[in-house]
Amino acid sequence: MNNQQSFWQLNKAVVLFALVALTMPLWFPLINGYSGLDTKIMIFCIFLVGFDILLGFTGYLSFGHAAFFGIAAYSTGLMLKNFSDNIIPAIIVAVIAATLVAIVIGLLTLKRTGIYFSILTLAFAEMFHSMAMAMLQTWTGGENGLTGMPTPMLFDIKMQGSAVFYFTAIMAILLFYIAKRIERSPVGLMMKAIKCNQTRLEYTGINARKYKLLAFVISAMYAAIAGALMVVYEPFVGHEFLGWHQSGEVVIMSVIGGVGTLVGPMIGAAFMLYFENVLSVDLGEQWLLVLGLIFMFVVIFMPGGFMEAVERIKKRFITTADGE
Amino acid sequence: MDMTLNAFTLYILTGLQLGSIFVLIALGLTLIFGTLGVVNFAHGALYLIAIYLAVSINNALGFGLALILVPPILFIFGVLMERGLIQRFYDRPHTDQILVTFGLAIVIQELLKWAFGANNIPFAIPSWGNGILMLHDYLPFLEGFVVYPKWRLILVVVSIITVAAVFALLHLTRFGLVIRAGMRDAEMMQFLGVNINRRFMIVFGLGSMIAGIAGVFGGPVTQVSPEVGMHLLVPSFLVVVIGGMGSLGGAVIAGVLIGMAQSFTAPYINLNTVIIYLITVVILLVRPRGLMGAKGVFE
Repeated sequence: MNNQQSFWQLNKAVVLFALVALTMPLWFPLINGYSGLDTKIMIFCIFLVGFDILLGFTGYLSFGHAAFFGIAAYSTGLMLKNFSDNIIPAIIVAVIAATLVAIVIGLLTLKRTGIYFSILTLAFAEMFHSMAMAMLQTWTGGENGLTGMPTPMLFDIKMQGSAVFYFTAIMAILLFYIAKRIERSPVGLMMKAIKCNQTRLEYTGINARKYKLLAFVISAMYAAIAGALMVVYEPFVGHEFLGWHQSGEVVIMSVIGGVGTLVGPMIGAAFMLYFENVLSVDLGEQWLLVLGLIFMFVVIFMPGGFMEAVERIKKRFITTADGE
Repeated sequence: MDMTLNAFTLYILTGLQLGSIFVLIALGLTLIFGTLGVVNFAHGALYLIAIYLAVSINNALGFGLALILVPPILFIFGVLMERGLIQRFYDRPHTDQILVTFGLAIVIQELLKWAFGANNIPFAIPSWGNGILMLHDYLPFLEGFVVYPKWRLILVVVSIITVAAVFALLHLTRFGLVIRAGMRDAEMMQFLGVNINRRFMIVFGLGSMIAGIAGVFGGPVTQVSPEVGMHLLVPSFLVVVIGGMGSLGGAVIAGVLIGMAQSFTAPYINLNTVIIYLITVVILLVRPRGLMGAKGVFE
């Protein structure tokens, strides 16, 4: 089936994303986006694409992905500070650390239904948050956060300004491509089958838990890469990285954008960060309230998020065109 | 751990007091979950509404009016929330229910932050509940001079009364019988011609009202700030999971267990921060259904 589709058909979304991402420094300032926010948007695109592999494919709603984001960020910070200012070993160690934690949490939380999963992922993330605040204070800096990292280096290149942006953008494009590959692979199909009807899948003799755990760990790895890049982008780790606000933000971004579409959550991330940093100037302290209301509106009336809105408009356009 | 009887008594009381709040919030959560099958991420926000209402009425009109007004207001709020919002989500996936209540929690929290500011509002305890109680006057086995804040003991007593009232309502009345039957098999109840939806609406109001009671008495202990709701929600969720989702008895036992665990580990700060998660992990490994979780409930 796949062989008959051309490269362009298969990778249209990735190519378009690459075009939008790599030209971002050119057009983003035109809509009042400041330099640096584009990097942050790319970082969250990575986070959100990974999150959609879990939520969008398997339907499991995690309220604790801040744990992997935060653990990777702290690991990266500590590696840069104590081992080497080269970001490659730091990112690798960060991803390994977060992956190991994800395997343990995944084994514990995926034992039962999705309801348990949502509650327990939230709880475990809060556990890491309170650990960072108290027990591991000497490492994490507690309330003040982890500071004092050297300027991150990619071998001989100083990771500052546009160097960080292009590094992050290329990572985002690559990881988006991988996610697209996963989506149309047999493994991706299994993950989607879990969302459709897990019981039926299990009756066919397939070990659904294996695929759930795989989706969970892959999404945690994406979150970890995002967390590591966050420290490369801005050499600081705050305890908020681990907090439920961070997990909640990712959930909100996914839903506003359109769960299960991979592209949608990235649009959600871009929208929310843009909203938070640019549009919120007029709203002041109440921006989160407005965001909460938008989020509720989407959940109630447009569960498919932004992507569903696009589909609806398209459909209406096409039907009227047919009617004429 | 070398511990005198005095210290042991104080740890027990603190454990009961910490557990009281968890029990009251978890009771509402598990009641709503058991009957409606809805995981209410806005339950912490209901508690938040309760403490802000309670502190406002208390500081303006006195504690008596706060006690009379806040629980019924929360009951009405719960009923309206069920009719206006939750009801639309019965046929939708569980994740959507979690999402919409999470959204509501953010909206409520931000509204309260907007109206009252982000800082703690002092909650003046009424004169009859202020001060300390001389425990050694009542408990002959205590040596010397042992005191405890009176308000915290009142909180424990209120929790016990509330729990008893909820159990009496569910086990001694016809209404309770129908609700318990509905928890078992809502579909069957409808086949028998019982209007279960109306009763579910009342259950939601009831869960919300318990959060109201918790707010009136818990406000002075937990502080009154916008972050409190979410801070209490996480341990309360764990109480529900440890007790067994939908099990009221389990919630009470687990709430007290968590309270005790937090109280007795207080001297060891590192253990104290993770103890409830450790207990959760152990319970999940040994009894995945929770202490008193019934078979077949959201398996």
